[in-house]
Amino acid sequence: MESISEIHIKKSKFQILLILALSLVTLILAITSMGVGSSENLGFFSTFKIVLGIDQSNDIQSSIIWRIRLPRVIIAIVGGAALATAGALMQGSLGNPLVSPLTLGVASGAALGAALGIIIGFSISEPIGIIIDFLWNLILNIIIYPVNMISMAIFSVALDIPPIPFTGAETVIITNAFIFSLFVVFLIIKLGNYRSVSAESYILVGIAITFICGAIVSTMTYFASDSQLSQLTHWSFGSLARTSLIQSISISIIIILLMPNAMKWAWDLNSLSLGGDDFAISTGVDPIVTRKKILILSAFMTSIIISFTGLIGFLGLAAPHMSRLIVGNDYRKLIPCSAVFGSLLMLFADTLGRTLFAPIVIPVGIMLSIIGGPFFMYLLLQKRRKY
Amino acid sequence: MNNYKNYAQNYSIIDNDELLSVENLHFSWGENKVLNGINFTIPKNELVAVLGINGAGKSTMLKCVNRILKPEKGFIKLLNKDINDLNLVELAKNISYVPQSVLTQFSMDVFDVVLLGRRPHINWRVSENDREIVSNTLKFLKLEDFAFRSFNKLSGGERQRVIIAKAVAQDSKLLLMDEPTSDLDLKNQIVVMKNIKKLIREGKDKSAIIAIHDINIAARFADRILLLHQNELIGEGTPEEVLNEENIATVYGVSCVVEKRTEYESMRIIIKDEIKQKNKRKEEEE
Repeated sequence: MESISEIHIKKSKFQILLILALSLVTLILAITSMGVGSSENLGFFSTFKIVLGIDQSNDIQSSIIWRIRLPRVIIAIVGGAALATAGALMQGSLGNPLVSPLTLGVASGAALGAALGIIIGFSISEPIGIIIDFLWNLILNIIIYPVNMISMAIFSVALDIPPIPFTGAETVIITNAFIFSLFVVFLIIKLGNYRSVSAESYILVGIAITFICGAIVSTMTYFASDSQLSQLTHWSFGSLARTSLIQSISISIIIILLMPNAMKWAWDLNSLSLGGDDFAISTGVDPIVTRKKILILSAFMTSIIISFTGLIGFLGLAAPHMSRLIVGNDYRKLIPCSAVFGSLLMLFADTLGRTLFAPIVIPVGIMLSIIGGPFFMYLLLQKRRKY
Repeated sequence: MNNYKNYAQNYSIIDNDELLSVENLHFSWGENKVLNGINFTIPKNELVAVLGINGAGKSTMLKCVNRILKPEKGFIKLLNKDINDLNLVELAKNISYVPQSVLTQFSMDVFDVVLLGRRPHINWRVSENDREIVSNTLKFLKLEDFAFRSFNKLSGGERQRVIIAKAVAQDSKLLLMDEPTSDLDLKNQIVVMKNIKKLIREGKDKSAIIAIHDINIAARFADRILLLHQNELIGEGTPEEVLNEENIATVYGVSCVVEKRTEYESMRIIIKDEIKQKNKRKEEEE
């Protein structure tokens, strides 16, 4: 007969295998997703021929592949992983299965930032831009112009250095959303400094922030024009279409750097999510410090993603629960599994949204709720016994 | 030299026998005083029962010792070190705690719950040794059959035993248990207490403090009894010394008959009836 230890090892290995299998499915879906789309110029197989260098591409084709589809696939994978991980971290550290990455009010902060940008035309990056412009001009005046004058005198050649445009119109909403959601993260840090703060007070403060920001946004929409309203509504749908290749790669690097940090908390989360604060202390975990750090990490991850994608709420709630059905609540496996499952769901929903009613693209936030919701309910009702 | 060492250890000259000492412990919830100047020491290799009515401060005292609650005043020293000087991981290596109940929204396999007891000892990876300790603990507490069942699907008593197993797997010097037998059936109450007793007897310098309501279980298994009444410690000593008719009447407000320990039977307390206060009786007569 197998010993208990052996069964435990076997079970662990099986769960890791499941996670690897899920990763493989995600990878296949990512490749498939690169090939499908609404363009008539680019078929499924010709995409791969171009990517592999077999066929030459024309400008339109290469633009579709590199500037539209690739960033979209990257942000789907990274965004899904980050939101699902943040959801799993928040649920565990607050000991509450109803929590999602949006519970703490990070998203409403982002929405407020976006609304300010769209309706009032306020750009938080403008003051920063002015300072940077000023510094840049200073550098130009002090260093470059004298150098140019000398080089003009000697070689009759001048360096052509344009002033840097710090803010473009399309980045206003993103930076606004990001900085306002960071402001909410900052509030959470402040709250966490109180020694007696409990899990419930985080949730309640998050809900209060959501209401306050919501009220301000509503007031602004009252005065907004039709086009501004539609722009704000589109932003709040949650879409992967707005991210450029450079942006999606930068986001990926940040999230990849943050992921090991999330894994570091796995044991503490096991203890905290199982037995609450007293139990955690008895296993050597300081619940207050740990909770604060985990919440800051997950709120930061959420704010990075949603300032580029808009509001995607359901994924962060559902993906961790679906992963619990697969690997249980052991965070050493739950965090990677949630990340992979989040990527998979986001890719699936986005690919479906692009192809179902092509050329109309349904935003991924809507697709996730429409498909994910019933699927989630089905899983919970089916496997209720399992966890 | 060696002989001297043995002699010295036997008679506690070199080795300090004291595991835990609590001095002048005060705690209150706002205005409400819960502990008012508690003093006691716990030697090594002893099973100590804490008795007292609901709200006497038994749980609060245990939580102060485990640093879950911060006392208002007083010192708690573990092996002559102030517990506030230890970080929580070091503390968890030395003290394990069994809460009254663990209710959770997120469940795990029983094996993984008991594995959490090893958390202070491991960095990230679970070693072969940790797995061995967990499976031996499960066997020790007769929980092998539950090893891969979900914690939330167990009954209250089974869950309580799993949490005890977690504390045992933690392999700490001092076990704090808050009513570990409250949800157990009659047989399991005895089995669990026997196991804890065995652990204290056979473990190296281990002790346990158990808050408990059942005075007969306390009388049978405890080496020493701490009796809490109105936020103060009113009795400390062996069960025979502390559990007399007078003390039980003062603390619990019941009359009883104490049967002395015999060669075959442990001491037994038979509860008779509540003691009605005189003025109340007068009111009733009127």
